[in-house]
Amino acid sequence: MTMVEYFSFLPYGKYAFYVWLAYGVSAITVIALFINAKRNHTRTVLSLKNKFSINQ
Amino acid sequence: MWKWIQRQASPKVFFETCSRLTPWFFWPFISLLLIGLYWSLVISPADYQQGDGYRIIFIHVPSAILSMMIYAIMAIAGGIGLIWQIKMAEVVAKVSAPIGAGFTIIALATGAIWGKPMWGAWWVWDARLTSELILLFLYLAYMSLNSAFDNPRTAAKSSSILAIVGLINLPIIHYSVKWWNTLHQGYSVGTGGLKDPDMQIALGIMFLASIFLYVLLVSIKARTEVLIREQNSRWVKEEVVGVEL
Repeated sequence: MTMVEYFSFLPYGKYAFYVWLAYGVSAITVIALFINAKRNHTRTVLSLKNKFSINQ
Repeated sequence: MWKWIQRQASPKVFFETCSRLTPWFFWPFISLLLIGLYWSLVISPADYQQGDGYRIIFIHVPSAILSMMIYAIMAIAGGIGLIWQIKMAEVVAKVSAPIGAGFTIIALATGAIWGKPMWGAWWVWDARLTSELILLFLYLAYMSLNSAFDNPRTAAKSSSILAIVGLINLPIIHYSVKWWNTLHQGYSVGTGGLKDPDMQIALGIMFLASIFLYVLLVSIKARTEVLIREQNSRWVKEEVVGVEL
């Protein structure tokens, strides 16, 4: 059984595998970009906080 | 308006502007995305030739446009940084690169996934596909060149020159479907590619959502970058110490 047949129960039938794969890959990329941006910001703020508290 | 733009050259003002912009772009992005997805996946009818497989276009086309738009913004911001020595333009250029690379990856990946059922191949060395792949390499080259210097000003200068030289690729990508006999189809927007009004609305909403996502990510990433660059100034200290995590 191919992946295309396996996922054909989803909406869009014979194209379901491709459509949902495309939307899934895009969602993962966008979420990764967003989480990475947020995490970098938090880390930077934390490390600067540490730096300033050591200098005081 | 012009005065407002000029004031953004100050790191502190730019940082505050970005902080204020973030929520104004986050919530519209989420709403536009949800409406756009509903319009793309539910309201829009199936295509008469491609069935439901064409629905990939609603993420493919906006991300492809954004991948080129962000590159142009990156090169222009880099140029502004070079000519007028505006540090905040350098920041915008630097943080745009990974976002643009992300959009390029989405465009290439969704295109490949669409290509498999429609063309029978994940990848062909077609002019459109190849020039878009070169765009991804340009983003990666920009990012590695930018991180190869310790001094952010030197890094910005050399990578901006690379970005400006790479601008030549944008018209090549855009006109590739006209100049060469490509397997990639012609324009979907403006020239009667997509004719159904629901499809056009869905594509428009997804495009708007992508723009909001770009500005949202810039407003977060630029703040991080400004904090790192200006860490020796007093306002950063006050800003950081005041933040509760």
